[in-house]
Amino acid sequence: MKKEEAILQIKRASKHFGGFYAVNDVSLEVKRGQICGLVGPNGSGKSTLFNTILGLQKPDSGDIIFNGTRINDAAPHQIYNMGMVNAFQIPHIFPSMSVLDNILIAARDYPGENMIESLFLRRKWQEKEQKLIEEAMEILKFVNLDMLGFALTSELSGGQRKLLEIAKGLMAKPTLFLLDEPAAGVNPVLGKKIFQKLQELTQEGMTFLIIEHRLDLLFEFASWIYVLNKGIIVAMGQPHEIVDNPDFYQAYLGEK
Amino acid sequence: MNIAVYILDIIIYIGIFSIVAISLNLEYGFTGLGNFGKVAFFLIGAYTYAILSQAGVPFYLCLICGGIIAAIGGLIISLPALRLREDYLAIVTLTVGEILRLIVKTESSIGGGVWGISVKRAISISFPAGFSAINKTVINAGVQIVLIFGILALCFIVLQLLTRSPYGRIMRALRDNELATESLGKSRAKYKAQVFMLGSAIAGIAGGLFAQYIRFIDPYMFMPIVTFTVWIMSLVGGPANFTGALLGATLVQIFDRGTNILKDYITLPIDPVNLQYILFGVLIILVLFFRPQGLLRESKFTTRPLKLVYEKRRSDTSNKKS
Repeated sequence: MKKEEAILQIKRASKHFGGFYAVNDVSLEVKRGQICGLVGPNGSGKSTLFNTILGLQKPDSGDIIFNGTRINDAAPHQIYNMGMVNAFQIPHIFPSMSVLDNILIAARDYPGENMIESLFLRRKWQEKEQKLIEEAMEILKFVNLDMLGFALTSELSGGQRKLLEIAKGLMAKPTLFLLDEPAAGVNPVLGKKIFQKLQELTQEGMTFLIIEHRLDLLFEFASWIYVLNKGIIVAMGQPHEIVDNPDFYQAYLGEK
Repeated sequence: MNIAVYILDIIIYIGIFSIVAISLNLEYGFTGLGNFGKVAFFLIGAYTYAILSQAGVPFYLCLICGGIIAAIGGLIISLPALRLREDYLAIVTLTVGEILRLIVKTESSIGGGVWGISVKRAISISFPAGFSAINKTVINAGVQIVLIFGILALCFIVLQLLTRSPYGRIMRALRDNELATESLGKSRAKYKAQVFMLGSAIAGIAGGLFAQYIRFIDPYMFMPIVTFTVWIMSLVGGPANFTGALLGATLVQIFDRGTNILKDYITLPIDPVNLQYILFGVLIILVLFFRPQGLLRESKFTTRPLKLVYEKRRSDTSNKKS
């Protein structure tokens, strides 16, 4: 596959709640192997756009095309199976289970997740589980949670939950990873480390679409930025172009 | 009445309701599906057993068919479960149970309507002449205990293995956060349907066992109070622990019988039957207040490999320290 090919295409997508257009006729493209940034003030429709991509909300019009397939009507679990994973802005954790359990849930192609196999092929999934635990520990080490592998998730702090949310996504080995404010609530050094890691992963063919308010980080690592304001894309381009774009300042800072 | 026979009767009831309680633990305790229509599947199992056994079908087939038909019922009830929040699901399942009972009550072609239907025992022993009635009853009860507790053990092991596997992890995840589970690629429709089917099948088998033990069933035996009793068992023992369900079933059954006997010996200013319900209410409030997770907690580890890794780590760190 060509690197320049678009992995995600949104064509004139709209989503409204009553008379309020949260996403209004948005078209955008994310190229394979790219870190693509999505910025905009609070309430500009970024998270709603994410939700429509992920199948959590259906767009009212327009097309969302992932890997050449139209996914407007796909259920979230089908979208996961196609290779797209997300990290929610507010971490969606499983509080009654350990950190490791939380991550293992995200693993793909796991024989134990079938009722019959989990009962009768115990050897098979137990072997797989051992491998997955090692993998999960690696990811936990990366997000500095390795000492908390067996801690209950409900005992984690807000920032740690955020890291766990990202770790879950990495465990799923997505081709396209949607991150909603990955660096929010995370200490600056680790925030930067996460972005560096994401950049490394683009070398392996992973693609990222990231919402982030820490513009210093995002503009350092992203290769393309979309600016969303009131549900409309008001500017797009490479980070250095965006910095010089007056529309961006107006949208973000309310200044001319 | 002979005290030994009475105790055997209690043991058999504990066995039957333990089966229903563990099936509720599977649905509610692990998967978070508040099924308040447990009695519906119990009823399906009981009536299937009764009707089939009258037609001369062997008892194991009657039990299996009861389980299968209850599972189909579970599949149907899982459809609204997909769209409803937990509290609304409780209302829907509760009404389903009552509707089913009222259908059976009014349609006399199904199991005799209000007049009920008599059921054959699963295993009947022909005793040689000269056996006293008491001995016969005790031996029959013994056979019942072997049958019921055998099936209980089987269900217990299957559910224990199932919940301590990646499948059980997904069940717990669905309970904790449905949206996150779905967005991590687990179809909640599939998992909820499977859990409801398995839970209902087990409750159906328990219904069959109940029918063949008491040898006569009528619609008044399947009032919503049966569901509530099972819920008390599950909540008291620990909703996410199958041993807890057994403990809860035992305690509630003994509590039930105990207060029943006690009221004959103590004179109270109020109706003793109502007192029993009041005490049950107090019991639930106390448990939910002081031990909301039930007497026995959920196991810390979802799977065996995880537990092994944990133990290895702990011994490594303690070796380093020493």
